[in-house]
Amino acid sequence: MSYYDIDAILTDAEKVPCKFELDVPELGYLDNNPAQPLKSGTTIGLPLWLAELLALANRVPSTADEDAKSFVSLNLPPALSNEVMSALKADPRAVPLRDQSHNFYGLGTRMLDLFEEKEICAVLRRTFVTRAADIALHAGKAGATDDMGVGAGEEFLRGLEEWERKLFKKAHDGAKGTKEWMEGVKKH
Amino acid sequence: MALPLPSGLVPAEVAFLCEMEMITIVPRQRLESIPMLSGNTPALRPPRRADLPLWLALLLKKQRRANIVPPPWLLPASLQEIIHIETNVDPQAFSPPPPPPMRSDGRGIARPYAVTTTTTTSSGRGGGGYGNANGRDEDPNTKELILAPPFLPSCTQDAPSGYLPYHWLEIAETLLAHAADDIPNAPEVRALLRDLQEVRAAKMRGSTQHLEGGGGVLNLRGVGAMELAESRGFVLGVVDGVRKLGASIEASRREEELERGDDGGDESDDDMEL
Repeated sequence: MSYYDIDAILTDAEKVPCKFELDVPELGYLDNNPAQPLKSGTTIGLPLWLAELLALANRVPSTADEDAKSFVSLNLPPALSNEVMSALKADPRAVPLRDQSHNFYGLGTRMLDLFEEKEICAVLRRTFVTRAADIALHAGKAGATDDMGVGAGEEFLRGLEEWERKLFKKAHDGAKGTKEWMEGVKKH
Repeated sequence: MALPLPSGLVPAEVAFLCEMEMITIVPRQRLESIPMLSGNTPALRPPRRADLPLWLALLLKKQRRANIVPPPWLLPASLQEIIHIETNVDPQAFSPPPPPPMRSDGRGIARPYAVTTTTTTSSGRGGGGYGNANGRDEDPNTKELILAPPFLPSCTQDAPSGYLPYHWLEIAETLLAHAADDIPNAPEVRALLRDLQEVRAAKMRGSTQHLEGGGGVLNLRGVGAMELAESRGFVLGVVDGVRKLGASIEASRREEELERGDDGGDESDDDMEL
C-alpha cells in the first residue's frame, strides 16, 4: 500500500461508529446540539483515521484511582454488522457489496486489525473467493464480446466494490489481450 | 504503482516467444543453410523433412516454399483424447504436460529424445543449445540435454500425441490461421480446440476456489503459456486479496506461536510470488 494509494485514503475516510468516553465542550454540533457540550456516551460516526487514533491513545487519568482510558470506544461499522455477515454467509453473490461500502474489504481488513474477529475474517475470505469466481466469468465474457461495462456487465459491475473492480479489470485485461492476439494472428 | 506494465508476460509477448518453437516442415524447394546468430538452419532438400523455428517455417509457408507437418498432438484423435482426459478422467486438474523426452531405441534402452531425433541440422533462433549437426553419431553421454520448453522439440513431428505442450494454444492458432491446408480436418481441429479452451478456462476460473478454506491454488501443472498470461493478473489478485484479508489473523497466530516458543514458523508465506 503506497502513501498515495487513493483507495487507502478513501478507506481512511470511512465512518466508524465511536462512543465518546468523556464530555467534550464545544463539540456538541457533531451531535446536532451546538448549545450543549458533547456528552460522554454519545455515539458518533468518525472517519477511520481519527477514530483509530482516539481509540488507541490513552488519556491521563483525572484522578489517581482511575484507570487510563481512551477517548472513544470503537464499534464495528454497519457494513460489517451481523446482518450483513449473515447475508454473506447465506449467499455471498447476492449481496451488492458496493452498497455497504465502496471499500468494503479495505474497511474489513482495517477493522480486523483492530478487532480480533475470527468469524468475520472467515466470512470475508469466503465471500471474496466465491465472488472472485463470478468476477472472472463476467470479465471473460466482457472480454470476449465487447468493451467492459456494457449491457449486463454494467449491472454486474455496480455491485462490486473497489478490490473487486480491480480484480475485474485484471481478469478483463488478460482476456482482452488474448482475444486481441487471436484476432491479430489471422491478419499477418 | 511505478510501472503501468502488468507483472509477467502479456499475451503478445508470449506469442512472440512461441515463434522460436521448432516445427517440422516438408520443403518444396532447395534452400541452403542460413547462418543465424543462434546457429545454422538445416539445408533444405525437397523430399526430406526438416525442423525449423516457427517464424521461419511460417515465412516459407507463406512463400509456398514449404508445407508444415502439424505436430501429432494437433490431430483430431489426439485432441479428442485430451478433451476426454480433461472432462472425464480428471475433471479437477489440467491434462498433464508431455513426459520428459525419452524414447526407446529398439533395443529396450531409453535414450534422451534429442540424441535420437536430431537427424538433421536443426538449429534456429532459439535452438542453439539443442541442435547439433551430427547428433546421431555423438556419444549420448557427452551431449548436453536441455529440458526447458523452448529447447524441447514439443511441436515437431516427433512430439508425443495426447499431451499439450507449453505453447499449445499459440502454435495451434497460428497453424490454423496460416497453414490450415496442411492440417488434416482443420474445421474439426478448430472446433475441438474451442472446446478444449473452454474446458480449461473454466478450470482456471475455478482454480482459486480452494483458497477460502486455507487450501492453496489449484495445481497449475500442464497449463499453457497463453493461459498463464491470460489468467495471471486474476489469480495473483485473488491470492493477494486473500492474503490481505487474512493478514491480521496470520499476525496474531504468529505472535501466539512466538509466545509458545516453538519456532515452527519456517514456512514464510509472506513472499508468495507466482
